[in-house]
Amino acid sequence: MAARTRLPLLFPKNLPPFRHKKLVHTETAVKEPAYPPIVASLTAKSKSARLRQVEEQVKKICASPVQEKLSLITRIQRKKFVVYPQTFSRNADRWYQHFTKTAYIPGLPEKFTPAPVEPVAEGSSPSPAALTAVPGIGDDAFADLRSLVTRVILQEQWHMKKRKPFLYRHQEQTFGPLLRSLVTELTHNLGKYNPLLLLSSLDISPQVNFYWRRGQRIIPKGHRRRHLEPTRFQIDDQPLCQIRITQQLPQFTPLEASYAAEVPEITYAPNLMPLFRRQYDNNIFTGAKLPDPACYGHTQFHLVPDRYHRDRMARMQQSDQVEVFLRANALASLFAWTGAQAMYQGFWNHEDVTRPFVSQAVITDGHFFSFFCYQLNTVALSVETDANNPRKNLLWGTESLRLYDSVQDGEVVGLNDDVLKLLVQFLMNQP
Amino acid sequence: MFPETAQRLKAAAPLVSQTRLLKDLSRLYPHGGAFSLQSRRQISVSGCLSAKIQPPRKPREPVEIPGLEMVTYGERMHFVPGLAKPRYPRWERDYKDPRYYTAPPAQEMPLYKEKPCHVFNQRTSALEGVRQAAWLTKAKVIPGLPPHLLSLAENPENQIPDQDERVQNAIKHARFWDTTQERPRKEKYSNTLLLNLLHLCATLQSRNPAIGRRILAEDHSLAATWTRGDDLFQIRGRNGLLHTSMDPLPEVSGKDEVSQTADYVLETFYPVSPTIDLQQVNVYKEDVNCSGFTGDYPYPHAHTLYFLETTDSCKLRPEQFRAKMVMFTFGNALARAHKLYGTEPQQLLDRPVTVQAVGTNGRIFQFLVFQLNTTDLSGDDGIKNQLWLEDDVELYDFAKVRPLIKKKQVKVPAGLTGYKPEVFTKFLSLYLHGAA
Repeated sequence: MAARTRLPLLFPKNLPPFRHKKLVHTETAVKEPAYPPIVASLTAKSKSARLRQVEEQVKKICASPVQEKLSLITRIQRKKFVVYPQTFSRNADRWYQHFTKTAYIPGLPEKFTPAPVEPVAEGSSPSPAALTAVPGIGDDAFADLRSLVTRVILQEQWHMKKRKPFLYRHQEQTFGPLLRSLVTELTHNLGKYNPLLLLSSLDISPQVNFYWRRGQRIIPKGHRRRHLEPTRFQIDDQPLCQIRITQQLPQFTPLEASYAAEVPEITYAPNLMPLFRRQYDNNIFTGAKLPDPACYGHTQFHLVPDRYHRDRMARMQQSDQVEVFLRANALASLFAWTGAQAMYQGFWNHEDVTRPFVSQAVITDGHFFSFFCYQLNTVALSVETDANNPRKNLLWGTESLRLYDSVQDGEVVGLNDDVLKLLVQFLMNQP
Repeated sequence: MFPETAQRLKAAAPLVSQTRLLKDLSRLYPHGGAFSLQSRRQISVSGCLSAKIQPPRKPREPVEIPGLEMVTYGERMHFVPGLAKPRYPRWERDYKDPRYYTAPPAQEMPLYKEKPCHVFNQRTSALEGVRQAAWLTKAKVIPGLPPHLLSLAENPENQIPDQDERVQNAIKHARFWDTTQERPRKEKYSNTLLLNLLHLCATLQSRNPAIGRRILAEDHSLAATWTRGDDLFQIRGRNGLLHTSMDPLPEVSGKDEVSQTADYVLETFYPVSPTIDLQQVNVYKEDVNCSGFTGDYPYPHAHTLYFLETTDSCKLRPEQFRAKMVMFTFGNALARAHKLYGTEPQQLLDRPVTVQAVGTNGRIFQFLVFQLNTTDLSGDDGIKNQLWLEDDVELYDFAKVRPLIKKKQVKVPAGLTGYKPEVFTKFLSLYLHGAA
């Protein structure tokens, strides 16, 4: 009986004062797990085993050095869509925006747009001077550059005796050398203002390749029917010339600013674009292999071939597609270049970029110039990694602007200073 | 393949179209074989197809009797045995169709001349090499570059920062890093190497504004004419790269040395004629002198020519490649001298025209400086032109992607080995000549 009675009074009301604190500060002892973690099998014929294999492969790629990462990612050849930057497809820029998760912003970033003139100016002299000159270059130097550009244009178009160009290679044989000379001369001349260009590497007709996955489809037929297959893409591009530098260009906008941008969603399958699948070597290449010190990109220059020249498009009643073509070209080329640069630094699908990669491009057909800037904010484009990825890549671009009207009697008629200023500003871009 | 085998092939393939057979056979025998290309019908398809083929029957020769009118089957519009075959006059289109144009024979062309002209073009492979080129250009060959030229690049002000490292990076980029494949091909890497080295030299423009007074020109067409003895010579062709400048190059040797060249005797190579391997043409324009640029070109003076050994169209051996370099440098100098001083032969030019040249195959460089002292090239005596030639300098020994291992020992390691910095200093000094 005595044992059954409760003993509430024996429980002391006032516990010793420091006892609580002793209890509070004690941490629960960490218990070593007695058994290894329970994970899915690696070799079973089951879906969870396949997922585990994929996880192990991802961990292996994350743990290896950059050269091995690239070879592991591009090792297995499968059928993939070959994306051509210069394409005849209609509205290709919207499709490419969807494939590369890029938002298009018309106009150029604030770095290149001149600041608006203040209505209350101290005197009339400062404002015209600030408007005419490029930041970093005085008026005299700009006048020198202007005369240099005139001389280059005249040399190629007027002074040099050239043979008649071959059929459908008019652009390549008339404006190709002109653009190459222009780029080389301007790069060498601006070396004194932009020390990056002194350490840069100028490539003529380099290869730029990129391989990535985006989206998935259900395989309609075959022994793998009803399985999910990621859609693979490959870009193989050959710009006319490009400048590669040893340091990275600074970003145009912070990463977070891209969260609000809109990327067009296309619900159709890529092969309806039309886009065709092939299986061959998966290449990721910026223009030079990994050991090259100039691993970051500065500017690319592209030439519009005869097939997509605006006169021919006008004859085929597709004049509206001229700007679309230029945008699609810039998008695909720059995405491939910046993507390859990011992969050379070790970022890939499952390890997203920690800093944005920035590059520029100028696309021209000899008379009309279009300027584009690209900021790569994310490489994580495949289904698993894109689910919670708010980042988007950004492309800024201008409409085509005329550099000069024509060459008559040994004179360049109608040389546009604004276009020249933009070109010089592009080449002067430095951290 | 022998003619009999070809004939057996023809006999054994009666169902194959005659034109295809003819085309294949004409490809096998491009210069005309010993057998005739006339088609012979294989009429029997049964029986032995691999028997001995009868020799071709010679057609009966038609007999021409003047004054006798032959009765032809032309009016009857069909073949009649016994009547002669009608001969019609040649029909000419009254309009011009470029698809069916046949060039007239050389004698009927408007520019035809009796006297042949010897033309040196891009594809000429001169037998005697530099000796022949020196005779044709009436030049004295001096081995080695002029010493005061080399001191230009020794000056530390004229050197590129981190020069050795950057040149080695340029070589590695050209030889290893420029492609997605294992190694780039020879044409590609020699071109890339030259452009990389030029890009490196041009970065000195920030310190030396005189370099900004030059420009590179691709693919200009050169033409120059001169007489040597009784023969007329022309040089025509499209060059690879030309560096032109607003200012002329300073002369390399002074007036004394120039006048001393009058005592030099040109090297001949009897019994070989100096015009060997040059293309002889009877249809040519006389007195054509064109430097490749028309009008008031802002960069009229030629500075340096860059030659690459093209491996696809015509492979030139090193000696012949050097001869080509000499001839084209001379052609550029002569065209400009003709423009400045007129086409009349001048015994001694007031200001000698100097042009440089660099030739490379991706590893081995040839350096050349040519000074044109005289345009009076008809006689073998008198003042001669001068030619400084440094041949076969290697920029590096090996650039191997995979190491060379013989008998389990590494003979040549992978990567760039045996880099020689003095070759780039020579390249740089030729580049800076006239600006520093």
